[in-house]
Amino acid sequence: MITAGIDVGIENVKVVILEDGKVIGRGTALSGGANRAKSVEKAYHDALKAAKIKPADVGKIVATGQGKGDVAFAADRVVEPVADARAARFLYPQATCVVDIGADQVRVMTLGEEDKIAEVVMNQKCAAGLGILLKSMARTLGMTLDAMSHLSSDGRAVVNDGCAVFAEMDVFSLLNRNVPREDIARAVAEVVAVRVNSILNDKIRPDKNNTVLVGGVSRNKAVVNALKKRSGISFIIPEQAEYAGALGAALIAAG
Amino acid sequence: MAQEYWRWPESSWTAQDIDWKKCKTVTAGVDVGTNSSQAVVMCDNQIFGYANLHTGPDYRETAEEDLSQALGKSKMKPKDIHYIVGTGWGSRNIPFAQKTADEITCHARGARFMFGPGVKTVVDLGAQTCKAIRLYSWDRIRDFQMNDKCADGFGRNIEVMADLLQVPIEEMGARSLAVEKDPEPVSTTCYTFANTEAIGLFREGYTESQVLAAYLFAIAWRLHGTIGRVQPEKEIAFTGGLAKNPGIVKRIEMAMGWTALTSAYDPMLAGAIGAAIIARESL
Repeated sequence: MITAGIDVGIENVKVVILEDGKVIGRGTALSGGANRAKSVEKAYHDALKAAKIKPADVGKIVATGQGKGDVAFAADRVVEPVADARAARFLYPQATCVVDIGADQVRVMTLGEEDKIAEVVMNQKCAAGLGILLKSMARTLGMTLDAMSHLSSDGRAVVNDGCAVFAEMDVFSLLNRNVPREDIARAVAEVVAVRVNSILNDKIRPDKNNTVLVGGVSRNKAVVNALKKRSGISFIIPEQAEYAGALGAALIAAG
Repeated sequence: MAQEYWRWPESSWTAQDIDWKKCKTVTAGVDVGTNSSQAVVMCDNQIFGYANLHTGPDYRETAEEDLSQALGKSKMKPKDIHYIVGTGWGSRNIPFAQKTADEITCHARGARFMFGPGVKTVVDLGAQTCKAIRLYSWDRIRDFQMNDKCADGFGRNIEVMADLLQVPIEEMGARSLAVEKDPEPVSTTCYTFANTEAIGLFREGYTESQVLAAYLFAIAWRLHGTIGRVQPEKEIAFTGGLAKNPGIVKRIEMAMGWTALTSAYDPMLAGAIGAAIIARESL
């Protein structure tokens, strides 16, 4: 059977088309704004095109993500931790913990017996130090997200790790002092690591070796390295880690 | 490349009909802000050229680009300028400026030039700060107030919000005014909450205009509080980037019951104009 998983995030919509346990198509579009439903449609059609199939070929569609309510044509909806956990278990059967760092949410889930989730911890409502911060800082520094990921700097600049608005003011101060922007970008990566690490250690002590890291921010190498160093966890990062939620939803659709 | 909603257009202009060689004074003001930077070149009491650009990560480069765009295709070279004053957040990174002046003075002087000598209250709505300035009827500052440290809800955040909500930044104000009645303001305008908050409102059935209205109303209300602290007088003028957002200006006007003065100049130029005037007086 062919199934589809649609993950409507705060920043991006991600779609995965699955056929008998194999991903045959992916699609993505910017989310956000009043036209979220349209973005969903676009990402879905791109994914169908990539899979070279017609809408009628899809047996079941399951939606997840903070905007899952905006997928009118989905047969079912699942909450994000369930989709993440399912994807992690599918990709790495030995996984005991999943960390998903997105645009404005970080979720840490420990996996229990069989298909169960033992525990979920999330950030409070504030998104400081997550994807939105990285995007905003990339702009301030005139760097691409990709450039922010590959940093060779070992500078000592630091910025506020409690609040994105204050962090940005610190960045402006550093720019005024002509601190190289690579050093500032490294300080920003450190902010994400500090934030996520504090949530990791809130309640859950993730397994050092069997923890899977997914979500858009997992693509940022500078962040991942800083986080590895701080937490001592050697994260397993799947390819196309930003599609994990969508993959989980597609797996759930398949039963 | 996908559409970029947050980028407002840059602009520059240089007069064709001013014979600057005959002018007694040629001065310039350069205002390097955190988000945008302006240069204004003045010949005697006339504007010869200006530029209004995005600030890059290298403030010195931005300042140089500002000045060179303000001079445009004219034959004037930076060395022909008698005196240059720098202001704004990055004022210490304008290597070619002879001196720096504080933003409050520059905005006050610039606003008097732009809005006429009758202006009594000047509110600079910048990317990171809101400065409310009260003037005497002569060129002197009577009082001023700034926002507390947090810059949430100011220009920079409006950019982030434009991007999150996928609304072109120039249209944001107008779209927010397309509501019959302002909804309840959002409880926080902080951009780290903006999208979660917006999703909630959309789910409740708010239209895009209503969501924008709820945001801009909350921001305007916060600004209104800052302005109130200088005991403003009704000859009020708004400068800075947010002055171009009618969704904010109209709501502050409504809250105060006044109509702001208008000017033919781009309100973002106020600081640089003021700096150029101070440069002239420094000769």
